[in-house]
Amino acid sequence: MKKSAVKAVSALLSVFLFITVLAACSSNGNNAPANATKAPTNATNAPETEGATNEGGGTKLGIDISKPVELQFYMLGDAPKDLDFIQAEINKMAKEDLNATVNFNYTTWTDWDQKYKLLLGSGQQVDLIFTAEWTQYQSYAKKGAFQPLDELLPVAAPKLNEFVPADMWEAVKIDGQIYTVPATYKEYVTNGFVWREDLREKYNLPKPVDIETFEQYLEGIKKNEPNMTPLSMNSDVKTNLMDVFTSIAHKPIGALPYGVGVDYETPGEVYSYWGSDEHKEDLITMKRWQDNGYMVKNVLAVKDTLQDQITSGKAAAILGDNPTRYNDTVINLQAAHPDWKLGYYPYPLTNGIATPVHPIHNGYAIPVSSKNAERALAFYEKMVTDERYNLLTQYGVEGKNYEVVDGYYSLIGDANSNGFPREAMNGWAWRNPDFMLFDKNYDGVKAIFDELDKIQVPDKFTGFAEDYTSYQAEKAALEQVEKQYLYPLNAGLVKDVEEGLNTFMEKAKQAGLEKIQEEYKQQWLQYVQEQGIQ
Amino acid sequence: MKIKDDNYMKWFRLIAFVVILLTTLVCLFPFLLIISASFTQNESIIKDGYNLIPTVFSLEGYQTVFRFPKQVLQAYGVTTIVTIIGTTLGLFFMTMAGYVLQRKDFKYRNFFSFMIYFTTLFGGGLVPWYIMMTKYLKLTDTLTVLIFPGLMTPFLIILMKNFIRSAVPDEVIESAKIDGANDFTIYSRIVLQLSMPGIATVGLFLALQYWNDWFTSSLFINDPSKYQLQYYLYNVINAMSFIAQMGAGTGVSIGDMPTESTKMAMSVVVTGPILFLYPFVQRYFVKGLTIGAVKG
Repeated sequence: MKKSAVKAVSALLSVFLFITVLAACSSNGNNAPANATKAPTNATNAPETEGATNEGGGTKLGIDISKPVELQFYMLGDAPKDLDFIQAEINKMAKEDLNATVNFNYTTWTDWDQKYKLLLGSGQQVDLIFTAEWTQYQSYAKKGAFQPLDELLPVAAPKLNEFVPADMWEAVKIDGQIYTVPATYKEYVTNGFVWREDLREKYNLPKPVDIETFEQYLEGIKKNEPNMTPLSMNSDVKTNLMDVFTSIAHKPIGALPYGVGVDYETPGEVYSYWGSDEHKEDLITMKRWQDNGYMVKNVLAVKDTLQDQITSGKAAAILGDNPTRYNDTVINLQAAHPDWKLGYYPYPLTNGIATPVHPIHNGYAIPVSSKNAERALAFYEKMVTDERYNLLTQYGVEGKNYEVVDGYYSLIGDANSNGFPREAMNGWAWRNPDFMLFDKNYDGVKAIFDELDKIQVPDKFTGFAEDYTSYQAEKAALEQVEKQYLYPLNAGLVKDVEEGLNTFMEKAKQAGLEKIQEEYKQQWLQYVQEQGIQ
Repeated sequence: MKIKDDNYMKWFRLIAFVVILLTTLVCLFPFLLIISASFTQNESIIKDGYNLIPTVFSLEGYQTVFRFPKQVLQAYGVTTIVTIIGTTLGLFFMTMAGYVLQRKDFKYRNFFSFMIYFTTLFGGGLVPWYIMMTKYLKLTDTLTVLIFPGLMTPFLIILMKNFIRSAVPDEVIESAKIDGANDFTIYSRIVLQLSMPGIATVGLFLALQYWNDWFTSSLFINDPSKYQLQYYLYNVINAMSFIAQMGAGTGVSIGDMPTESTKMAMSVVVTGPILFLYPFVQRYFVKGLTIGAVKG
């Protein structure tokens, strides 16, 4: 009896010992790194000690700033090397203006979508976070992840409220309320043909302006440059090939999912593009391209980017690329092969659909977990409308990171040695057209933008928020079918197009295509009607 | 009879050697390809594909990896520290746990074993884990968060328990006790000495686990100076492909990134050091594999 009691006690003791060792280890570990972190921890301590001395600093503001706060600012991507210094400078000003300090956090590009979900879902303090249509702004807003800003804006950020045009505020509304502050800088991400101008001149080929002339160019390259692949393509034949192809061959309102078709001119009419004669003809064209050798046979296994294939001289044309990225390709090419030249022809000049990016494309929202919504919005106003904040967070320190030469932005040193290259904080959302500085190289893009400005038409598609909760299972099944049966068709690898298309349609219908299209159509028509889109 | 045997053995050996040699070559081939590709110019990889001997020799892959040498070295440091501390502490805890759990006089051993086993089947999932670490334990941006989660891996505890059970007979423990050894002495002087193969195996698993870990960094570390090596490098690749995809460039070119050769150079940089661990642990490893068999 006694012996077993002793044993039990000793067992218990060893458990305790085990736990304390564990605990001690974790708390020790906790202390050491805490001392090592420089900027962020200091920043938390600072306001508490200085807060009292700084009262009534900003009497003009309609919000209470008597209590010091620390704002958690979240952006996607990687933090620039000089961020600590920039943050300290910003904090000096923000302390004075708003009695607030800010901590700039970055998610990195690794698994950013998962982290984004965790930041919004875990309830940890996040005061400002980047939003875009590709971060699912619409569905997060619908689910109530962000605070509505309608009432806050005139109070906390009157200047910002006026700065952003009313139609932009209108455009970012979800269910009648504003959840994000949109960026006001206008840019185009519409596609255009990219080709090797030097080769085109050499063999006297037509200038690609539509699918027909583009195909003639490809044919010419195939004949004259047997070692080159005419068309640069990779395994993502959905986005890089079919979506782009349909956007120039037809006039779709946007890259619609599930094979739904809506023409730009007639948003109220919805049809099924998949399985239609139009679809079949497009696939036959793809097959012809594949048969004639414009694309490589193993295109579904290629992982290289389209641009890499051009700059390495492997391929001679990209079906469609946006002006900014085209400009980057030009710069890269100039460095590697100065004697090669590229040509560009924007689709909108052919089909008339020159849509600037939708205001949703870049924005900042205040998540529900924020306890300092007023201060966060006031701070964001500073970032956008105050030149000191804006220039510092977009371009770094003048004289150290950049200089202004003839009105152009000029990086000091190169991207490897400079700790803060242009827009290194990924500040796409708080760009202010009034303060923006451009590199000389960017003139090419601006010229294209100017041309597109003349024929600008509104983006009717991006504001639409799809709610797929009712057909989530079908959606996943359909994606599988699409990869298995449609991708080979897209790549032109199926011998009998008609039969292949029939098989795909049959499988897609089994997966629930009709239900998805019906639901999607209803939601879309409702959106069109509510927004009064014509 | 004897001659025949010898002949037979000769042939057997010859065939065995040839087969093993071929298998080794097959295993080695991809690795050689990686090394070769890491020294090839990126443009040439895209144009000509992979070759065993670089078509156009270039160090640009390594240049990109070591673009910011300070950061890479820092990441190396973090990973090394985490691996060493994590493996040492983890081995200590897990051998103790394994030892206690296999002692027949520990009444609740089945209950505790079950509890440990239970967590491998049912877990809270990612979000609760994340909330636990960030909100309650407040471990964001500490080295602890990189070490802590791996310290008590259920699978390794069970492995350790079984190793100890088969390596240390109860009678040994009993006799040690009669000689006046207390529980800790038995653990440190007898159990640890006898289960060296097991420790080596578990240690290797654990070290690999810490060395290859990037996910914890990805979730809990915001401060770039505390990134683990794997995460730092993985992130370089991701940033490159993302920038290429987004077309977020704004006129200031970051230069044509040699994606393919960088990936290969990274693999070499990352696998190199841990490769050296194998020869040291291997002899224990072999023993560990046979120990159960001898006992029958």
